Amino acid sequence: MASLQDLPGARGRYAIFGRVFLYAILLLFAAYYLLPLGVMVSTSLKSAAELRSGSLISLPRDFSFEAWGFAWNKANVGVNATGLAPYFWNSVVMVVPSVLISTFMGALNGYALTKWKFPGANLLFALILFGSFIPFQLVLLPMSLTLGFLGLAGTTAGLVLVHVVYGLAFTTLFFRNYYTSIPDDLVKAATIDGAGFFQIFFKIMLPISTPIMVVSIIWQFTQIWNDFLFGASFSSGASAPITVALNNLVNTTTGVKQHNVDMAAAIIAALPTLIVYVLAGKYFVRGLTAGSVKG
Amino acid sequence: MATLTIKNVQKRYGTVAVLKGIDLELHDGEFLVLLGPSGCGKSTLLNMIAGLDTITDGAIEIDGRVINDIHPKDRDIAMVFQSYALYPNMSVARNIAFGLEMRGMNKPDREVAVKKVAALLQMEHLLDRKPAQLSGGQRQRVAMGRALVRDPKVFLFDEPLSNLDAKLRVDMRTEIKKLHQRLGTTIVYVTHDQIEAMTLATRIAIMKEGVVQQFAPPQEVYEQPANIYVASFIGSPAMNFIPAQIVSEADRIGVRIEGAQGASVLPLPAPSAAVLKKVGHDVILGVRPETIARYQHGTNLPPNFARFSAQVSVTEPTGADTLTYLALGGRDAIARVPPKEAPNAGEVAEFTVDMARACLFDPKTEQRVG
Amino acid sequence: MQSSLRSSLSRLVVAPTFLLVLVFVYGFILWTAYVSFTGSKMLPSYEWVGIDSYVRLWQYERWHVAITNLFIFGSLFIAICLALGCLLAVMLDQKIRIEGTLRTIYLYPMALSFIVTGTAWKWLLNPGTGVQAFVRDLGFPEFTFDWLINEQFAVYTLVIAAVWQSSGFVMALFLAALRGVDQEIIKAAYLDGASLPRIYWGIVIPSIRPVFLSAIVILAHLAVKSFDLVVALTGGGPGFASDLPANFMYEMAFRRNQINIGAASAMMMLCTVMAIIVPYLYSELRGAKRG
Repeated sequence: MASLQDLPGARGRYAIFGRVFLYAILLLFAAYYLLPLGVMVSTSLKSAAELRSGSLISLPRDFSFEAWGFAWNKANVGVNATGLAPYFWNSVVMVVPSVLISTFMGALNGYALTKWKFPGANLLFALILFGSFIPFQLVLLPMSLTLGFLGLAGTTAGLVLVHVVYGLAFTTLFFRNYYTSIPDDLVKAATIDGAGFFQIFFKIMLPISTPIMVVSIIWQFTQIWNDFLFGASFSSGASAPITVALNNLVNTTTGVKQHNVDMAAAIIAALPTLIVYVLAGKYFVRGLTAGSVKG
Repeated sequence: MATLTIKNVQKRYGTVAVLKGIDLELHDGEFLVLLGPSGCGKSTLLNMIAGLDTITDGAIEIDGRVINDIHPKDRDIAMVFQSYALYPNMSVARNIAFGLEMRGMNKPDREVAVKKVAALLQMEHLLDRKPAQLSGGQRQRVAMGRALVRDPKVFLFDEPLSNLDAKLRVDMRTEIKKLHQRLGTTIVYVTHDQIEAMTLATRIAIMKEGVVQQFAPPQEVYEQPANIYVASFIGSPAMNFIPAQIVSEADRIGVRIEGAQGASVLPLPAPSAAVLKKVGHDVILGVRPETIARYQHGTNLPPNFARFSAQVSVTEPTGADTLTYLALGGRDAIARVPPKEAPNAGEVAEFTVDMARACLFDPKTEQRVG
Repeated sequence: MQSSLRSSLSRLVVAPTFLLVLVFVYGFILWTAYVSFTGSKMLPSYEWVGIDSYVRLWQYERWHVAITNLFIFGSLFIAICLALGCLLAVMLDQKIRIEGTLRTIYLYPMALSFIVTGTAWKWLLNPGTGVQAFVRDLGFPEFTFDWLINEQFAVYTLVIAAVWQSSGFVMALFLAALRGVDQEIIKAAYLDGASLPRIYWGIVIPSIRPVFLSAIVILAHLAVKSFDLVVALTGGGPGFASDLPANFMYEMAFRRNQINIGAASAMMMLCTVMAIIVPYLYSELRGAKRG
């Protein structure tokens, strides 16, 4: 489309006004999307006193990280004044194994389903894929019974299991679509060269999977870090992930409401995924579109 | 180096027969080209030789050993793929050495082998690069190096040149031929390009719908095509097919065709018994474009040449020759004439045809007669 | 690839995933379906009592509110996201110099947890601290914007926050599709004298119709699953005025010890999602086969 603007006659007398108008609208929307984050950051940097006097979008007069520190290790989360820190680490301990295991299994599935097709492989894939579409409310009750049965109720290990199981549909989808675009000749050549099933996977397929691996890791990381439903349903007290802790902190009814602390806590909870997004937004978008468009 | 025997090999997917009984026998050091359009089964046959596809029925033997149930890596074959199938994550050297590595050869030996092959293909300077850093022609070389390094009994090529541009394709073709002449290995080569088939093969197997139409040396395929399909597949521009009738006139046997000024009879020198049986029947006369020439007035024609006149519809100069379209037997025939002798479009001119090099086909069975 | 050994290796490799999915997706759905026909309260009982819990489910006023809310929330959310996403994508497609930066800004909310989004918007929409207070401070003491605590309007605050979070994603979908439109068609239309808006309205947008379908399905799916946002933004309140089915289910199953009602409402959600997803998946997979 872009090239049309350069064609003769496209730059009419009003074209320049059109461009200005266009940029104005686009920047206005940028402000709309940025405003909540900006307000959050600026509020989190205000002191309690300033918060009462100042207005919503005024910049903090003196930057104070007091609220951040308070949210991190002093704020009341539920009943204990521990701050978010322990829950932050809960989330880290939960996310890392969940992401790695589900990504590895997804890669292996994708490889098997595309390069070593067996009768029914497509049907099997459709069955796995279906799992990503169900409302998870359906599995909450049986899952909590199962976790109890396995002795994993209220543990981080239990949440890892849950996130691996329900992440597999996505990781399998990512890798299957990626490996479909890798020519079968590569596997044939390696077979003639004498490599076996796992040798081909580890020596050839995995080393060329970096792009989709990044997509899968970022997607899983974001999903699992941001999850609330499973965390709220299957964790208890001290084992809660950060989203649950944040919700408890914000909705805690004990003590005076400290909005600057709430905002600081929200930012702390959002920071890991925000950083990943800023650093690797390209892969994040690819995961979003791959994960949802090609159902 | 080895012999390759393919005995009544069949391939069926469910009820669909892809290969309907292929019999081919290759001597040591032969260069077999499997030629045909896409979907004729040539790639399936190659994959079956490689061990990348199962054999429904029949047997494939290398050096007399049946290999039907032997794993590809134990068949002592190497394959060059159309897409080259280079491992993107490995350097050129490692790509070439990978097959040796998988067979447990130690590192110093592998390095020696890689160096030797790299020297043979003149690509020593490429060994440290990744496939993505190579041009199409260089990738092609690496793919061949990967096959060569293993020194297998049989080389398999799956349309190896079709991803290259026209100029490079000709160069690589010559290179493959040189390699074959130097190494004398047994090669099976799949292509849909008749020029590649003609230039490279010691024998060509032309396939159509899972059946070998003709299995013969290139020149024989060209001069004595088994049927209309083979005749039209080989040669560019294609052979002319002119509806005609075998007639007996005075003491001569000839074919009658409709020309510009009514019918003319082209005498057949030394007709075979099969042809004699067809007197009075319709046939298809097959004439290669280069066997038609402009008639020079006052020259004496050798006995196997026949004369006829026809109207010229279009001329297409190609530089070396001028392709001249003649109205013959109700359709266009093409003559390949030297530019100096080329007539003008619209002109009615006299031509000669070398009947010793003409073919006759049965219009119903499309098989060659005699 | 044939070799039977490898083919069975392949099956073996997929088997763990298959078993997990079989148990944790299909098995669990069957379990929930069965339990919805029992009289389970605090603990699951496996005694079949028929459709009793469905009958009772539909007698709950709270369930009717949740369903109505889902309808209001879902349709507004989808419509606004589509309109906004499409508009932004078309505007960004005009050779904008800072396109990369703008795209990043429009899309970043998608990387946030709904709990974070909810917390931020809760504060912005809170009459005492947010927009209302801000405008009043500017000198409009009569200004009122109290949807968050207004029974009738609380559900619309969900729309505001959800649109903010997801419209950038729709923009990204559309932008990718716009980039995929055959440029020659556009040039041909331009040579025929069509104006830029006409080209978009008449040619480009219709040609990316499949993306609209995908976007609608994804958004609808998001809407049905919405749970976190309600918890963080309105807590379902005031009262239960802004409950969605997902919250209703959670409330019944985990807070009120009405497991059978929770299961029945989850089954209703499944039916809703299936009604959206199955025709879509069917057409997608068929399309994939053709391609």
